[in-house]
This record gives sequence, C-alpha cells and structure tokens, in this order.
Amino acid sequence: MTAAGPAHPIVEAGLERSLAELLLALADDDFVLGFADSEWTGIAPHLEEDVAMSSLAQDELAHAAAWYGLLAQLTGGDADRVAYDRPSTAVRHSRLVDHGRGDWARTMTRRWLYDTANAVRIEGLASSTCRPLADIAVKVRREEAYHLAHGQAWVERLAQAGGESRRRLDDALALVGPDAPSVLAPLESEAALQAAGILPTGSAELLERWTARVEPVLGRIGLGLPPAAPAALDPAMARSGHGPDFEALWAELTSVRRLDPEAAW
Amino acid sequence: MLPRPPADDPTLGTAPAPSGVRLEPFEVFRQEREGEPMRHGGSVVAPDPTLALHYARELYARRGESLRLWVVRRGDIVEVDDQDLLNPPFDRSYKKPGGYVMRDKLADARARTGASKRAASTGRRRATGAPDAGQPG
Repeated sequence: MTAAGPAHPIVEAGLERSLAELLLALADDDFVLGFADSEWTGIAPHLEEDVAMSSLAQDELAHAAAWYGLLAQLTGGDADRVAYDRPSTAVRHSRLVDHGRGDWARTMTRRWLYDTANAVRIEGLASSTCRPLADIAVKVRREEAYHLAHGQAWVERLAQAGGESRRRLDDALALVGPDAPSVLAPLESEAALQAAGILPTGSAELLERWTARVEPVLGRIGLGLPPAAPAALDPAMARSGHGPDFEALWAELTSVRRLDPEAAW
Repeated sequence: MLPRPPADDPTLGTAPAPSGVRLEPFEVFRQEREGEPMRHGGSVVAPDPTLALHYARELYARRGESLRLWVVRRGDIVEVDDQDLLNPPFDRSYKKPGGYVMRDKLADARARTGASKRAASTGRRRATGAPDAGQPG
C-alpha cells in the first residue's frame, strides 16, 4: 500500500488527524488496561478466576489490536509500531487506566468503571458515519457486555462481603473513582468528529448516560460515585501526565520489543 | 458416572476461601456442534452460579470450542451409585442381545428401502443427535 491510502478512504480528506486521535484513545485504553490486568496471571485469588482474568485481559488486547489495525490503515503505518514504538509520554490512555493494578479490589473496581464507561462510548460509536469504526464498535460491544457482568459481579460481592473486602473496595473507589470520567472526557477534535458524524454522541451526553448507569448499581450496595477529579474532565489532561505506575508498566511491556524492534515473530 | 467426592472434600475447594466465602463445585457440560449431545466437559469451583457461568465460559469456551454450555451445581445432581440397583448379583445375560442375529433382517430392510449399508449406518448414528438427519437422500 502506498501513501495514497486505500481505494475507499476510511474517512473524508481533512479528518484523518481527528479520527486518528479518537482511534488512539480507544486503542491505548484497551492496550494499557489489558496489560495491567494481565499481571494477575498466576496470582489471582483462585484458579478459575486466574484463567478468567487472563482471558479477559487478552480480550482487551484483541480489541486494541482491532483499533490499532484501523489506525494503521488510516495512516499507512503498522499496528505493532503504533502500539509499541512510542515514548511513554505519547501514549494516550485515560487517567483511570493510568493507575497501577493495585490489589484485587482496585483491579475489579477500575475494571468495572472502565467497562461501564467503555460500553457507553462503544454504543455511541455503533452508529458512526465511519463504517469501519462502527463495525469494530459493534463487535467489541458484544464481548464487552460479558466483561461488564464479570466486573459487576465482583464489585457487588466485595461490597456485600463486608470487613476487609468492603474496606478495600471503599479505598479503591476513593482512589480510582474520581478519574473514571477521563475515559469519556472530550477529545481535542471532538467538535470536528461530531460535525462529521464520526462521533455521533458528544462527551457531555456520554457522561450523563454513564452516570445514570453506574449510580444505581453503586447505590444498591451502599456506595456512591465520588465527584470527578478536575483533570479527568480536562481535554488537555485527561489523557496525559502519566504517573510512575504507568511508566513502570510501559517499560516492562515494551522491553522485549525494544531488544529488537525489527524482529519477525 | 460422575466422580462424587463428599461435599466437604477440601481438595475441591469447598473449604472456606481466605475471605470466608465458600467455593463449591459446578459441573460443566458442553455442546461442540449443533445437533450433538451435551457432553461432560469438566468442573469449576465458584462461590455462586453467576461466577460459575463466567468461569465455565473462560475454561470451556474461550477458544470458540463450545456452542452451548450447561452449568450445574454438583449438589443439584441426583446420583445413583448403589450397586444393588445398578449391578444386582443375578445372571443378566438373558437381557443382552447376544444370540439374536440382526444381519439378515438388516440386509432385507436395506433391500426393501434401497439404502446402501453406508448410508443406513450413517443415518442411524445421526439420528441419535438430530431427529431430522436420519433419512439420507
């Protein structure tokens, strides 16, 4: 494929950079979360959960691969290069995903908050005017419904178990809850994407839908959604300013690739 | 026959987990292709049916190898393993089909219907799983 791009352009001329920003946000969220959650392989609370968590983490990497693949088609690049060969500061995952996996309660709380926010985001994209984007969104949505049920089952059980489980859940929600809206924070190119129908639903509407879905679940188990951190809703900060947990994760997940970036696998 | 350890067998995870939650075994049955019978795939331990379903999916279907799963709490299975019921001590050979030769009757039946030996036997096998697959041609 030459730099001229495919015969049927993925998006009309002039919108490539805007679409790339959206695709990178989607891909990097799934990629970073998938890697962070995969750290439970071998040490999850019991054997079945270990297998399940590892499989769920792999699913996120599959979703990331689909988004990176479309981005590579758009820019004439290579999905692996996009995923692995950037400096950590260029990774555009949200603040929610930037936290380290922490203990099991934090992993499951973050996972559930992410899955609920991502579900709202993906549902909105299913009617995107960018057909290849909509096609991936529809497929991801089918699998995410199941992920969400798994995370919610855990959050409810941790809450209802009381004692140490409940304390850890409370701590987790206090730590990662304020950053949860960062998944849905407006992108810099939101106005252009909305005007073209690529992003059918704006971030304000998505945030309302997400809150309406999450609050009743938390309410039933005696919890509330903490107020959003200002940075989580700021387009300039929601996906930048990564912390030390992420720097360590990124160093590890790119370590093999950096040994020999041109190696054939 | 399902292996059926005592309900409190600690090797199967029925002992309290560190948090005090009891895990219990669930048996998983899977169907590989439409029309095939459900076959026992194995078991999972889980604290409740909801998580058992998630674990069954991940252990027995994550590679796309199952069309359908049945997840059954082991304690809900009615088991019969009384040998007085299943293998009573008297001679049972009169209930077995030995000595009853079917070959000639089958050949006559095939001649009447025009079915080949191969088609007839394939149809018989399929008929156990799919009611409408027994009539070749």
